[in-house]
Amino acid sequence: MWTIARKEIASNLLSYKFFIVIVLTVILIFTSFFIMYRDFNERLADYDIIKPTSEEAIAVLAPNPLSMFSKGLDEAMGRSFESTVIGITVRAGQKSGNEVFSFFPTPDFMYIVKVVLSLVALLFGFDQICQEKERGTLGLMLSNSASRATVLVGKWVGNFLSLSIPFLLVVLLGFAFVNLNRDIHFSANQLVRLALILCVTLFYIALFLSLGILISTLTRKAAMSVVALLFIWVLMVFVIPNLGNLLARQLVDVPSVAGLSEKRNQIWTREVLLGLQDRNWVDHYSKINREHGLLEEDYRNKFNRLVRLSKNINRISPVSSFVYAVTDLAGTGIGEEENLKKAVISYNNSIFPEISAAVVDREPRQYPAFQYRYRELSEVFARGTLFDMAWLIFFNILFFALSYMAFVRYDVR
Amino acid sequence: MLKNIIRKEILNNIFSSRFLVTFLLLVIIVLATSVILTNDYVRKQDEFSMRQTERENYLRDYAHFNRIGGVINPAQPPLAFYSLIRGISLEVNIEEFDNDPLPVMFPLIDLTFIVTILLSLIALLFSYDAICGEKEEGTLKLMLSNNVSRAKVLLGKTIGGTLTLLIPFTFSLGLSLIVILLNPRISWKGSDWGALGLIFLAAAFYVTLFYCLGILISSRHKTGSSSIMTSLFIWVLFILVIPSLTPYVASFFAKTPSKIKIEREISRLTDVERDALGNKLMKERQQEVLKKYPNYGSMLSREERQRMIANDPEFKKADEEMTKAENEAWNEANRIQNAKVKVIRDDQDRKVERQMKLSIYLSMMSPLSSFTYLATDLSATGMRNLEHFKRLDDRYWEMFGDYAKKKMASLHELDPTINVYNSPVDVSDMPRFQYSDERLLDRFNGVLPFLTALIIFNILFFSAAYFSFIRYDVR
Repeated sequence: MWTIARKEIASNLLSYKFFIVIVLTVILIFTSFFIMYRDFNERLADYDIIKPTSEEAIAVLAPNPLSMFSKGLDEAMGRSFESTVIGITVRAGQKSGNEVFSFFPTPDFMYIVKVVLSLVALLFGFDQICQEKERGTLGLMLSNSASRATVLVGKWVGNFLSLSIPFLLVVLLGFAFVNLNRDIHFSANQLVRLALILCVTLFYIALFLSLGILISTLTRKAAMSVVALLFIWVLMVFVIPNLGNLLARQLVDVPSVAGLSEKRNQIWTREVLLGLQDRNWVDHYSKINREHGLLEEDYRNKFNRLVRLSKNINRISPVSSFVYAVTDLAGTGIGEEENLKKAVISYNNSIFPEISAAVVDREPRQYPAFQYRYRELSEVFARGTLFDMAWLIFFNILFFALSYMAFVRYDVR
Repeated sequence: MLKNIIRKEILNNIFSSRFLVTFLLLVIIVLATSVILTNDYVRKQDEFSMRQTERENYLRDYAHFNRIGGVINPAQPPLAFYSLIRGISLEVNIEEFDNDPLPVMFPLIDLTFIVTILLSLIALLFSYDAICGEKEEGTLKLMLSNNVSRAKVLLGKTIGGTLTLLIPFTFSLGLSLIVILLNPRISWKGSDWGALGLIFLAAAFYVTLFYCLGILISSRHKTGSSSIMTSLFIWVLFILVIPSLTPYVASFFAKTPSKIKIEREISRLTDVERDALGNKLMKERQQEVLKKYPNYGSMLSREERQRMIANDPEFKKADEEMTKAENEAWNEANRIQNAKVKVIRDDQDRKVERQMKLSIYLSMMSPLSSFTYLATDLSATGMRNLEHFKRLDDRYWEMFGDYAKKKMASLHELDPTINVYNSPVDVSDMPRFQYSDERLLDRFNGVLPFLTALIIFNILFFSAAYFSFIRYDVR
């Protein structure tokens, strides 16, 4: 088996395919790291400017260093949430002015892996069996005493190594570059998370490699195999996760963001108007807070239902599992955002009496600083990441087993 | 001869298995997308009209001028094109507490996605072996041994290939239009059809340019297996990498100041600082009026004031002047503070616009960006429409300002002691916001640069393919 693996690595190293793929990976990973690193530094500088003082009732979360690798919702989580008597005022950061950002996905590590590395892994696998058959070397190889299982495992291992070793080297180099900056610290916990992200990434790559080999054993010609694979790839990476979201929206009714903000506006202006008549401000302010809370709770419940459903539909494609696992591990996922919102609301409720008293007697107050703790790894795992990882492994095994089954019945002539 | 090559190319493609797969895939995806998006559009319409009703209900009971702005803020109604193109979704707006982060994680899929990602990939899959494939099979030299120039062969291949790609696309688009138009809630105007026609034309250019690119790559390679690698490499760069990178690169070169900081500064200027200035100015003016009318007492209750005004013409005059002076003081304070805000906002807007322009120009290196801007702008779901909406919004506020001034004057006439800002008013005669599409001709003029970029790419790739092909060793 090791002979086959060695042969695979050697033949890969010399091929045009390998050259192209490695050039692509190196360029992309380095540009991505560089850009996300600059972007992170700018957000960090921004954060230093907007950090609230103790007289401001504002909750702002510092940018998360892991967002360099998986930005996810970090932009949304880094907004400033200002508690006032008429509700929580939200201000968005840098990127919200330039609309071009909202057209295209963020080029972070997660995106590069999700889209490009998956394609690359497929390209490593697509001609494994059928091309050797076309060249006639498959028959030669099997005329030795190697079993078909050994050949398949050897091919898999050889290709996996020749793909993942350069990839890991590039990532480590990029990571070292990011670490050169003294302002950026990774805590031990974040390093563990990073290692886990890499681990998920390897599962992900392995899965597409297995898929490539599977299709290769199902087709007679490499040209046919590549067409089939590209279509499957488009479906898995782009179509299913996006259609899943839209489909879930058909089934769960979620009020629109614009509609909600209109309602919030109506609530506070109404209460202020009534307050001008009876001057009972404290009551009106707490009524605003209460009704806004109810709106938020209702929205959250519906939205969570939508998220759960769309997650489950999307998981038909393992690509979504990968996205969920990586963003959750990095602390930039949907679950973390929800948790942050909860923390902001409970912070708002805890200081609300102070705020409304401060408005009534026109005296500035001191507010406790907003503290946020990212969810523990154990909670992240329990809330879906463990499932997503298992799901990725399941697909790995499934594709490999299928390709074994197809290969033992393959006509090598 | 040209006709023969085109026919051969079309027949050759149509009977290949990749054509079948493409056809099925396109029909399924386009149909599924349009069914789902159409439903989504209808729901949006329902939601929108519900919001309008709620707003009217509110206005009936609680309308008052001081805080009405946030309530009657113009809202964009769902656009007819939403069932095909989503564009910049206003849902992604993250300046609200309840944001909707799902589209950030997985961008929505629509016609733009289908053209830019799917069709470009399919075009390359059809053309990567156009030259080298025929060489490998040995048919290339056979073809050229006839009395036919290489230019004609190339042209024939390009036309034939593009036509075969447009067949499944047109068919599936037609199906999705049937789905859309069968829905009784959807009505398309003439300008919508015009926009769709233009988008289709641009899509045809887009497909041709990728087909030419594929032929170019194919005529640089000896074997199909290396040609597909290069094609995919360039595809990944053009489609997946450049568009995502460019806004970031632009933001490094053309910086914008921290938005959060600016918004905070502005709210301080128009709130705390304005109140301080307004109170100061008001006291000064009140002193002046009191000097003129030493007997005027402003600390009376409302009922007493009303009684005094009715009985004492001198008091009435003083009261009028006092109210006028107070209003002037606050107007002056608002004017000074708003001028300060305007300086900050203008500077911010200028910087953001510079960054956006740079992002757009840089991203036009990739045909995907050009097509995306073109399709979203023509369908009024893009950046251009945001600007257009802003213009309508400004016009509405002007109209509202005139209305508010008149209405407040008439309220004041009825009861001089009334607080015109904080009293409930009947606003049933208030002008309501009406959204209207930008004229198609203006939209078309706006997207001309993008269309030109697509055409330039076409010419560039075709001529490069021609030069590679005339030097190609066909043996």
